Amino acid sequence: MKIFLLILGTSRELAAKATLYVLAGISTLVLLFAGLALSSATSDEGTTLLLFGNPVSPPATAGAFGDLVAKMETGFAAGLFAGVVLFGMFGTAGVIPDALDRGTVDLYLSKPISRWELLAGKYLGSVTAVFANILYFIGGLWLIIGLKVGAWNPALLATAFLMTFAFACLYAIVVLFGVLTRNMAIAIIAGFLYIFLVGEALQNREFGLYRISTNEVYRAIVDGSYYLFPQISAMQSNAMKFLSGVDMDWRPFAQSFLSSGAILGLAAWTLRQKDF
Amino acid sequence: MVAIEASSLSKTYSNGISRKRRVEALSGFSLCVESGQIFSLLGPNGAGKTTFIKILLSLTRPTSGSASILNVPLPDDAVKGRVGYLPENHRYPGYFTGPQVLRFFGGLSGVQRPRLEERLSPLLELVGMAQWRDMKVKKYSKGMLQRLGLAQALINDPEVLFLDEPTDGVDPVGRKEIREILRDLKRQGKTIFLNSHLLSEVELISDRVAILDKGKLLRVGTVDELTGAGGSRYLIGISGHLPEEAQTEAQATVIRLETAGETVTAECSTPTELNRVIDLLRRHGVEITSIARQRSTLEDSFLSLIKREVAQ
Repeated sequence: MKIFLLILGTSRELAAKATLYVLAGISTLVLLFAGLALSSATSDEGTTLLLFGNPVSPPATAGAFGDLVAKMETGFAAGLFAGVVLFGMFGTAGVIPDALDRGTVDLYLSKPISRWELLAGKYLGSVTAVFANILYFIGGLWLIIGLKVGAWNPALLATAFLMTFAFACLYAIVVLFGVLTRNMAIAIIAGFLYIFLVGEALQNREFGLYRISTNEVYRAIVDGSYYLFPQISAMQSNAMKFLSGVDMDWRPFAQSFLSSGAILGLAAWTLRQKDF
Repeated sequence: MVAIEASSLSKTYSNGISRKRRVEALSGFSLCVESGQIFSLLGPNGAGKTTFIKILLSLTRPTSGSASILNVPLPDDAVKGRVGYLPENHRYPGYFTGPQVLRFFGGLSGVQRPRLEERLSPLLELVGMAQWRDMKVKKYSKGMLQRLGLAQALINDPEVLFLDEPTDGVDPVGRKEIREILRDLKRQGKTIFLNSHLLSEVELISDRVAILDKGKLLRVGTVDELTGAGGSRYLIGISGHLPEEAQTEAQATVIRLETAGETVTAECSTPTELNRVIDLLRRHGVEITSIARQRSTLEDSFLSLIKREVAQ
């Protein structure tokens, strides 16, 4: 009940900020564009995809047309993923530092709630707000493509959950740094450094980190680090595979679930030790 | 029944990058507050008053010692459902209205929705915020925030109320209203623990007062006990000037004697001393025109205690 209240309160807090509205605004523009531009035409030769009434693909059978639409959806979803990382992190990185600010944390912790409940409520509230944004775009896109092109791809809807999951894993790192430093800027920087630098370097270790040394211990540390942290990049590429109907690997999701759980546990332990 | 009990509480903060700089906020602090009292904790800035409240509310962990609220040993999250707290410099979400703040923090206190709705309007009425119920908190003045803060602290109908500078930023009329609310809460049997710099206000409403400085408890007692500790002061009106020999003789009789024009101020520890001064003045042919007792205030006692502590 109290966690539910904290989730609602955090979603309300984020709704009062402009950042996530920017993401929603961009999503609306893309949806409007898709709604106006996309359509399809069916003839004896097959189905053709139309952009503003002009054919952009040769006539295809139902199966081949479905694959084409799935590729287009993958493009949209990849764009959204970048948007979610950018605006989602900017929008939610301040949630933990704000909650731990003097004058606010006193109000929360003087209530009969434990510190882990506060952290969990704030974390889940942020993830819920981002999920609402993702669902708005993906759900809208699914409806538009279904209504205007006639291709109803349930995998597109499922991608909303995979994207939210990937964001939730990344956000665990932002939360940890938010608790450690109580500083929004540092939490954002940590999130971006991880996704664009550390995460990428670990993901593509064969082409970079492995070349630094051939020492086995060093390589074991690099490999261990890869499995120790959430695999955002691998989850993104597998989500896109899932959307395209290609066999995907679930292991990055399972491993990221465990590692982000551990990171959140570390954040909760750190919060428990703090004096306010 | 004991509402608040602290035994040998100490808190040392480690500051600086290396965390080697140590600040002792509380040192062997013991205190007992009976339920149904208005208890005030006084002390200069940095004395450790807020640290003590924060330890009681588990916002800060003590370095050593123990404490309990309503006989429940701390830390304990559940007992906080029976406690209300108005922190200093509290910050409420600016996008909420007053009732939304009360619903949110009331819910976190474990108050069920029907009970919340029942308490909401009377509480806003009580703190004088009913007419501003639709206004967003971000537009509130400091005084309005304090009033809302008090309502927030009362939303769960607490048995113990901690108020840190409750009248900060409130105008004189509002301060009087808050004093009345606190007296009424006391009549309902609630325990009120007050941190305030406004000694004149504390004096008006407190049953017991403790004075804290540099983390140490200097004195605890009723306002009368604390203000009586320095002796009583009498203003004696005389016609003409006090002869020098009378002045020298009187100074040996009382704690302190000062003259200014046709007024003699004598600080006496007992009425016998006052009578000795009167006898002395009459013996020197001084005509007494008036005698008035000037009570020493809590502020006088507080300042004298703190000065003594600094001197030591």
